[in-house]
Amino acid sequence: MYSSDDTIVAIATGLGRGGIGVVRISGVNALGIVDSIIDSENDLQPRYATFVKVVNKLDKTQFLDQSLATYFPGPSSYTGEDVVELSCHGNPVMLQEIVQITISAGARLAEPGEFTLRAFLNGRLDLIQAEAVSDLVNAVTPLQARIAFDQLEGTTTSAIKEIDENLFDLIARLEASIDFPEEDYHFVGSNTVASQVRNLLVQTGRLLDNSTRGRLIREGCQVVILGKPNVGKSTLFNRFVGVSRAIVTDIPGTTRDLLTEKIEVDGIPITLVDTAGIRETSNAIELEGVNRARGALSVAGAVILVLDASRRLEEQDLVLLEETPEKNRIVVINKNDLQRKWQAKDLGDVSNVINISLHEETDFSILRSALTAMLVGGSEEILRDTPMLSNLRHIGLVERAETALRRAEKAAEDARPEELVLADLQEALETMEEVTGKRTADDLLNKIFTEFCIGK
Amino acid sequence: MQKFDVLVIGAGHAGCEAAHAAARLGCRVGLCTLSRDTVAHMPCNPAVGGTAKGHLVREIDALGGVMGEAIDATGIQFKLLNRSRGPAVWSPRAQADKKQYGLWMKNKLEQERGIEWIISQAGALVVEQNKIIGVELEDGDILRCRSVVVTTGTFLNGLIHIGPETQSAGRFGERATHGLAESLKMLGLRWGRLKTGTPPRLDRRSIDFTVFEEAPGDDLPVPFSFMSEEIRRPQIMCHLVHTNDQIRDLVRSNIDKSPLYNGQINGVGPRYCPSLEDKVMRFPKRERHQVFLEPEGLDVNEIYVNGYSMSLPRHVQEELVHALPGLENAKMIRPGYAVEYDFVQPTELFPTFETKRVEGLFLAGQVNGTSGYEEAGAQGLLAGLNAGRRSRDEDGIVIGRDEGYIGVLADDLTSKGCLEPYRMFTSRAEHRLLLRIDNADLRLTKLGRKAGLINDERWDRFECRRARFESNKRLLTQTTVRVGNGERLKASKALRRPTVQLEWLLDQGELDLQLQSSDRAIDIASVETEFKYAGYLQRQSAAVKRSLRYDRESIPTDFCYLGLPGLSREMIERLTEIKPVTLGQAQRIPGVTPAAVGVIEACLRRDKKNIGKGVGHFAPESTL
Repeated sequence: MYSSDDTIVAIATGLGRGGIGVVRISGVNALGIVDSIIDSENDLQPRYATFVKVVNKLDKTQFLDQSLATYFPGPSSYTGEDVVELSCHGNPVMLQEIVQITISAGARLAEPGEFTLRAFLNGRLDLIQAEAVSDLVNAVTPLQARIAFDQLEGTTTSAIKEIDENLFDLIARLEASIDFPEEDYHFVGSNTVASQVRNLLVQTGRLLDNSTRGRLIREGCQVVILGKPNVGKSTLFNRFVGVSRAIVTDIPGTTRDLLTEKIEVDGIPITLVDTAGIRETSNAIELEGVNRARGALSVAGAVILVLDASRRLEEQDLVLLEETPEKNRIVVINKNDLQRKWQAKDLGDVSNVINISLHEETDFSILRSALTAMLVGGSEEILRDTPMLSNLRHIGLVERAETALRRAEKAAEDARPEELVLADLQEALETMEEVTGKRTADDLLNKIFTEFCIGK
Repeated sequence: MQKFDVLVIGAGHAGCEAAHAAARLGCRVGLCTLSRDTVAHMPCNPAVGGTAKGHLVREIDALGGVMGEAIDATGIQFKLLNRSRGPAVWSPRAQADKKQYGLWMKNKLEQERGIEWIISQAGALVVEQNKIIGVELEDGDILRCRSVVVTTGTFLNGLIHIGPETQSAGRFGERATHGLAESLKMLGLRWGRLKTGTPPRLDRRSIDFTVFEEAPGDDLPVPFSFMSEEIRRPQIMCHLVHTNDQIRDLVRSNIDKSPLYNGQINGVGPRYCPSLEDKVMRFPKRERHQVFLEPEGLDVNEIYVNGYSMSLPRHVQEELVHALPGLENAKMIRPGYAVEYDFVQPTELFPTFETKRVEGLFLAGQVNGTSGYEEAGAQGLLAGLNAGRRSRDEDGIVIGRDEGYIGVLADDLTSKGCLEPYRMFTSRAEHRLLLRIDNADLRLTKLGRKAGLINDERWDRFECRRARFESNKRLLTQTTVRVGNGERLKASKALRRPTVQLEWLLDQGELDLQLQSSDRAIDIASVETEFKYAGYLQRQSAAVKRSLRYDRESIPTDFCYLGLPGLSREMIERLTEIKPVTLGQAQRIPGVTPAAVGVIEACLRRDKKNIGKGVGHFAPESTL
């Protein structure tokens, strides 16, 4: 529904990689929402660009990106509402991440063309300028707008549809038991409501579990190669890239800046980042390189931590092991063709460890498969008909449905009366209907009358 | 030549409420009916209320209407439906002593000094320059008036079917209304044809009731009206019997004789009230269906066979009655029948129930495609109120979907129209948790008082009740109570736990509330709900707040949709036809997209300076 009492967010710059990416937030709470996701020494001044750090709202320490934030108070803004624009680095994965935390801070993902529509509705564009509105008006009917998306992601829509149908069926039965209490029917056993809701939760859970995978395949992922100096990071980088992109020498600290290349591994678009070897250093340039390496780590979707089998494990190795999240990490023990100074078991209880020598072709392909497996659960598992939510909007909807379903589950377990369980189920259904199309009270009654012989 | 402020045609459930409401405002009201003997007649089920319908009656009562008091005075079996569920879906229902109900209503209206009875048949509407100026009776007399409420039920081109026999009639044994129908059609109103039906009536003396399963009412009847202290009339027993295979086979073998199945009937019937033919043919797998035997009064012999409506030939109906176990020797007093009738598409109406084509002409009740006495009464009250206001050139009053089921009814009818007879259901009310029978007065009585519908007696009573409610609410937030496990906490907090009931706390002597003995259940429910379901109510209130943005935004009735950017031709046609009075209503018209509503809103804002004259103030006011 269009109503100017909510705040919308979207990436305003084009899809794909660019030097700069802009996230635009528009609506009554634009300023408040942005305030809650940035770390800034100064308040945002109208029409002045302010340097800010974008941080995760829940965990203010999790730094995402540096950004220039500009606040345009309504009505003198693009949409006529309060608008904040965050100019960030143009990494699509990170931009999506920023949109995501903005949503969790209270914004809603904008419908296609909604900024323009709001601009029109608020008189910022005249009718001729907004000729496109004609298309927008028709495009925002739930079905039409999603046709393009549906073609790409038919399986997701059908997975949502299935949940939606099951939910609608349960709702119809509960509604029937309220509106027709004197019929000779047990529309739904009161002790089975909770378990039916749980089944729905299993379905939404499955969709959400797959959502990260779907997004990875659609939008790719940043993989950062990390390690202390001279363990072979740049050699590894060059092997993936296929050309000698990084300078490789025996001198520790050769790589100073971040090196970034776009590659593809088993169909997954990956931005591979080579970093400076991390060590205590007093060299100003190298220090900056080390800081950048740590910064890259904070937005990385995955990490390849490289260790050297031919040198003793050092404090620095253990610190890096500690700092990188185990879930999205491969520990590569390189140079196992040289004389080993330690074994994998010396690392203690660490998973996803592979021993390789980068000079061996087979070893490298083992690493490739390990990476794919970590990102998407193995190349053989990427089945075309596995429903994956790769669209932020859909993820948001399913998450909202899940929250409402959990409340319904609790209410049913507490043996609350049907109309209360229904209040939550209806809320869940409404979010599903944003994908599948809106139903009316008459559709509900139709279903009841078709399935049950009601009435005296 | 006489002059009335409001002329009401028809004295059924809509007509009675309309005449009463207009009279309350101090209008000179003419009530035109064929006979004083059929006032508030119940041609079908002799009962008032039921799920959602009970809510409507409570709201009619809270607005000063008569239906609630009438059924409390003449009800012979009361039942609060959905008692096992939460208070939001509790719905009262009662069997009426049919004859006494009509008599009570007639006496009530006769006591209203502003109502003059006109025993005659209305013939034609007199319209000048799209304004009503009077009604011509069949005998040629012309009654001048400022506004008219047409409540002719199924009388417009009514056609009764009993097997192959057809007979032009309004209801059984009464004349149909043809002249008025023609006159309405001449105005260009859009029409449809619907069908409804009723079961046979049996002679109580020919039935041995001891063989049936009993279907009792509540031991402690809960009254419909906020004015009723107690239910005094003796309560009766109803009985339950089931259909069997023999009945199924009988219907099947005679289905070609049913007007419903041999093409004789074209009107669309209500699916929630299927005929026996429909039950058998549409649900062949269902082994049995419920049939209730309900007395039509304390001292009459008619037994209403609820669930057995049909239009088969008389002799087949007799066979079918005798096939019900225990009714082998029952005597059929009169057969069931189906009736087809014309109705006006309610999209012809504003939510005040005034027609868009003719100023001062209001329609209410079954003529608008609804079914049920309660739906009719609710429309009658609103139409009577607004007809009275129209006669004084005052703005119309509309009730919001968030304020009452009456608002849902008016909005649904005027935004979507009818494809089958419209019946109210709780599932139609998206803000159901807020629209309860226990708070109908808290929601609506103030609005009624402001409009002039509430007399001092009712207002005083309401003020006491509201004071009780407020002080009980305070008590619950201040009093500490001990719950089952010995824990001590504020009553308002304790009630949020699913296991803690207010009734239980009262029984334990944990706290003392101000309760009116006659309204005990309702007093308790209204205050308990505030705390027990607080989270749900807050969420629903938030949803209401969101929807109000559009529902309180008026659109002038002469607003031109042609040429608005982005609106499809279908949308423009639909909007031009319905003439939504608020953005909220526009949004609920099937096929109108949310973005289209946004465009209309933007253009309204643009045009704000040169807005044309509307027909009134339609955006309902919040009364809470």
